[in-house]
Amino acid sequence: MEMFIQTLVSGILIGGIYALIGIGMTLIMGVMKIINLAHGQLMMVAMYITFVCHQYLGLDPYFALFIAMPCLFVLGAAIQKYLLNPLLKVDSILPENQVLMTVGIGMVLTEVMRFIFHSDYRSIETGYSSTAFYLGGISFNLPMFVAFGIALLLTLGLFLFLLKTDVGKSVRATAQNMDAAMILGINAHWITILTYGLGSALVAAAGTLLLPIYYLFPDIGGPFTLKAFVITMLGGMGSTVGAIVGGVVLGVAESLGATYIAMSLKDAVAMVIFLLVLIFLPGGLKKLTKV
Amino acid sequence: MMKKLVMTVMMIVLCALLAAPSVWARETIKVGIVLPLTGGQAAFGEIERNSFEMALAEINSAKLLGDKKLEFIFEDDTGKPEVARSAAEKLITKDQVVMLGGGYGSSETFAIAGVAQQSAIPFLVNTGSADKITEQGWDYVYRLNPAASDYPMGLETFLTEVVKPKTAAILYEDSNFGSSSSKSFETTCKRLGINVVLSENYSKGGVDFKPLLVKVKQANPDLVYMISYLMDASLLMGQSMELRITPKLFVGGAAGFTLPEFPKKAGKASENVFSATLWYQTLPYPGAMEYFNNYGKKYGKETEYHGAEAYAAAYVIADTLKRAKSLSRPDVKAALSATDMMTVFGPVKFTSYDKKINQNKLPTYLVQWIDGKLELVWPKKIASKPFIYPIDFEKTWK
Repeated sequence: MEMFIQTLVSGILIGGIYALIGIGMTLIMGVMKIINLAHGQLMMVAMYITFVCHQYLGLDPYFALFIAMPCLFVLGAAIQKYLLNPLLKVDSILPENQVLMTVGIGMVLTEVMRFIFHSDYRSIETGYSSTAFYLGGISFNLPMFVAFGIALLLTLGLFLFLLKTDVGKSVRATAQNMDAAMILGINAHWITILTYGLGSALVAAAGTLLLPIYYLFPDIGGPFTLKAFVITMLGGMGSTVGAIVGGVVLGVAESLGATYIAMSLKDAVAMVIFLLVLIFLPGGLKKLTKV
Repeated sequence: MMKKLVMTVMMIVLCALLAAPSVWARETIKVGIVLPLTGGQAAFGEIERNSFEMALAEINSAKLLGDKKLEFIFEDDTGKPEVARSAAEKLITKDQVVMLGGGYGSSETFAIAGVAQQSAIPFLVNTGSADKITEQGWDYVYRLNPAASDYPMGLETFLTEVVKPKTAAILYEDSNFGSSSSKSFETTCKRLGINVVLSENYSKGGVDFKPLLVKVKQANPDLVYMISYLMDASLLMGQSMELRITPKLFVGGAAGFTLPEFPKKAGKASENVFSATLWYQTLPYPGAMEYFNNYGKKYGKETEYHGAEAYAAAYVIADTLKRAKSLSRPDVKAALSATDMMTVFGPVKFTSYDKKINQNKLPTYLVQWIDGKLELVWPKKIASKPFIYPIDFEKTWK
């Protein structure tokens, strides 16, 4: 029983970070209808920013959130404004050439970081990296627990923003129907820039929170892009609640799979769930949550 | 008539002048080196390339090959076998190299070895260690480093003489190297009468190893043997400490546990962890300490056994080409076969044993992290510090 609970706890905790990674992608997917395949690489950039802040300025990674998130917001907005939006005007055989562009952006980000920081593994040592507290023999990793909490707070903030503010409503309107939104006087062009910036800032938060428990090298982005993609599909494209549920489901599925089947098959377990959702719940968990 | 003669003379002089540089310049011998320079294993690829380059500079400035200049052409295998294959093909057909070197990951090395054998070009492996690489009967493939199944040899005597564990858990990466090493360690355990209570694999790059580690905790073995690369190793140790898994000892069976990044990430969880290793700078091999110091001076970073393997391989390549009767592939192969030299990594001589051919056999050692420093602790007579055992984990982890 203890084994089961411990597995569940680690699954949920890691799921919180997954959710934060997925939510940015789902936001971008909802508004622009494209898969942002540079998502993991953006996270990697944020991790390097956090690393530099910690290593050279001595900033605590949690404080570095306030630097990494704005930086990535600007980077994301710039990518949307100068690299992705111009593509909309170009006729091409593939309507998805924005997606291809994001693949390219991801590669450039990886190689730029390799150029600056080399391929070395980097990690930051904080006093609390492997601190844990125990409840009845079950260990809760402190940085993971904090990350989970911050992920919840950020998601809540995003929710309030989308539901209560005018700009947030414009984002939702653009996501629902871009043409109609434009007719009603919403500057959809500006909304796309804002959305990509927001999505990048959210994944930056995930990267910063992940760094104390994980490590960093230029090629780290790829696997996380894949994770974000799975979560987005699992949750239902464009659904923020779906992304949270999707992230936690993925985390728990991976953990249970690792404990009860085999650790090397944990990705396979996640993929089986992914397929089951696609077959029986096309449109993702959004169908259940209706948000 | 006169004019014509002058013209001819001038032409001849001109030709001579143009041709002269190629006569005076040192002839270069090209050797292809395939390493993972990007991708997840790039950190090791970089150490190896640096070591190759360091050795190359020394070889050329010492004129080991006489008038000829040695040149290494590096190709990136990105940690993928299919890329390694095409990289090797490119080196052979386009660059016309006389032999191949490098080979980091076992899967990539295996792919390169296949190409080398097919094209009948000698290939000196310096790191890829899955047993099967030299068990295929591929006579063009030579291996400088010990095979994966030989890695825990140094550990074996330590277990029988000091620890005498009854149960063991094996955690290994689901790679060619990981499964090959875990299998051979299982046979070792059987021979020593150690009961393997758990043998689990995982795919590298995981964030959370706790689902795997709770099983170890439940099994409560005397010995935890982990075949992991760098960052997996740090996370495994850190999370073991978090779950308070306390066997008699933790032993690392692969690259991950000997790098300076390991204690940096794992912190106090790295303390007193043992690791099987192939090389340590204080070993009584000529030039070993010098290589270690020079590397640190030149690159501002510490090197470890992979670097030593690459550095030694560069010297073996130079020595082979020096002795080769000509640069034709059979002559180079014959010279490589006849290698019998001392390197910083130990003596190099290719032999056949068990199912292996062209395999260099070397002793392996045991190191331990003591006060944040990696110390050679076994065999006892060459140890740089006495080993710490038994270990009180509760105290070291406080």
